[in-house]
Amino acid sequence: MTEAAGLLDPHLTVGTAPAGREKLGLRGVSRHFGAVHALDRIDASIPEGAFVTLIGPSGCGKSTLFNILAGLLEPDPGGSVALDGMVVPPGGLLGRVAFMPQRDLLLPWRSVLDNAILAAEVQGQPKKEARALAREMARDFGLAGFEDHFPQQLSGGMRQRVALMRTFLFDRDVMLLDEPFGALDALTRSLMQRWLLDIWSRYRRTIVFITHDIDEAIFLADRVLVMGARPGRIRMDRAIDLPRPRAAALITAPEFTAIKRELLEVLEEESLKTFQAGQR
Amino acid sequence: MKALALLAPLALIAAAWEGSVALFAISPFYLPPLRDVLGAIGANWQAYQAAFLITLLEAVVGFVAGGLVGVGSGIVFAHAPRLKQMVLPIFIVSQTVPVIAFGAIIVLWFGNTLAAKAAIAFYLTFFPVTVNTLAGMEAVDPRQIALLRSFGAGRRALLWKLLLPSALPRIFTALRLSAGLALAGAIVGEWFGAVQGVGALLLAAMFNEQIIALWAAIILAAAVGGALFALVAVIEARLLFWREEL
Ligand SMILES: Nc1ncnc2c1ncn2[C@@H]1O[C@H](COP(=O)(O)OP(=O)(O)O)[C@@H](O)[C@H]1O
Ligand SMILES: [Mg+2]
Repeated sequence: MTEAAGLLDPHLTVGTAPAGREKLGLRGVSRHFGAVHALDRIDASIPEGAFVTLIGPSGCGKSTLFNILAGLLEPDPGGSVALDGMVVPPGGLLGRVAFMPQRDLLLPWRSVLDNAILAAEVQGQPKKEARALAREMARDFGLAGFEDHFPQQLSGGMRQRVALMRTFLFDRDVMLLDEPFGALDALTRSLMQRWLLDIWSRYRRTIVFITHDIDEAIFLADRVLVMGARPGRIRMDRAIDLPRPRAAALITAPEFTAIKRELLEVLEEESLKTFQAGQR
Repeated sequence: MKALALLAPLALIAAAWEGSVALFAISPFYLPPLRDVLGAIGANWQAYQAAFLITLLEAVVGFVAGGLVGVGSGIVFAHAPRLKQMVLPIFIVSQTVPVIAFGAIIVLWFGNTLAAKAAIAFYLTFFPVTVNTLAGMEAVDPRQIALLRSFGAGRRALLWKLLLPSALPRIFTALRLSAGLALAGAIVGEWFGAVQGVGALLLAAMFNEQIIALWAAIILAAAVGGALFALVAVIEARLLFWREEL
């Protein structure tokens, strides 16, 4: 699935350290759903070109945060989101960031290719042009030969790659990926992680990636944001300076496990809080 | 293959018909032999063909209009909940008027025209289609809607790329049901004084106690119904090809 390391774009070995310019900024973002306090004054700054992972116990508000970043939900009054340094008005993020929800949500009446171009098509790109581009991209996404299949005919991993391709074809600087590999088995997932890093290094986007898997969070990221139990808050913001390209064996390296231990401590504390809240 | 699947049950019915007439010595008053009925149709082929075409035309016009208006009003209702609250109850009440009573008024208004029969077929068709279009659009996964909105989709893109295609299976369920209703509507319309069409043949045969002609008219009605149904099935197979693979 992944190309040999020698074929990889030279970017990959260079650009670990993000350029520093802020791409996406969150200032005091809170959100209530009636009495439920889902997010509590989130502040975060995502640099351009960075791969940031967001991890936290389930129900802590990760998806809610993404819905806000995608423009589908508004933060409570007082909070704001800035894109490229400009505060975005309500609804202003719709159509400006490439959002991949937790489920692949492929349309069963559209072929692989036509699912992949859905966002581009909605944006008004001519179908023919979008299809031609998608056809070229299909190989990168391990979908060569499946362009004209329908989603029902694909495995879970392939469906996920179609959804990812759709997100990449929606040509936006920022990509929000909500647990894209959550439903895959461990082996497929590990392959997909390295594949995603490879793709990311070629297409250079700012990625925010939700996961509940610590290994995944560290393995992929330039930075890990750890969210706490509800009301969701950023408990930790940890830079990951492990060298790239990253090989599968990295997760057994001592540097890796040291970071993991650090994150685990915070996460366990937060998960325990969620657990105890559930017991009460 | 498909034609065969259709022909087999027909052959079975024909065999059962002929067989039971012979086996139980059924009086021709209750059930004449199939070959006599087919013979009567053959002998009077042109008249039967004309009746078939007229009734089919009436039913198709009402059915297509009812289908279009049904889908259209379903779309409008899905976008305007207030309007739906006001108008849908009127639609429902309209459907409680028995088609026979309604048919009499329509024929009074339109006279003995094609429009009158089509209007009755329309009346029976549009309501199930409206309701199913609406239900289909309302059943769309909100996460799917959110996804398209995040792509920057407006109402129009949502409708064409998501809502309508998602509702199609339910719309076709309604259309299959409505195909039979449209035929019933056209026949009822013909009962109010029409001299042509399957309904007119039915009525004439009944009054004159021409049992063979009556059965011939019934077979003709089934043929019109089958034609309508086949029309829907062909379009459905084209549009909903993706469902077969489920
Ligand atoms: N649309 C909504 N209406 C009401 N409550 C919601 C809604 N969306 C999320 N919540 C609540 O907000 C909290 C955070 O949910 P979510 O963001 O989905 O968590 P996560 O993705 O981290 O598992 C949960 O308690 C959830 O029940
Ligand atoms: Mg979630």
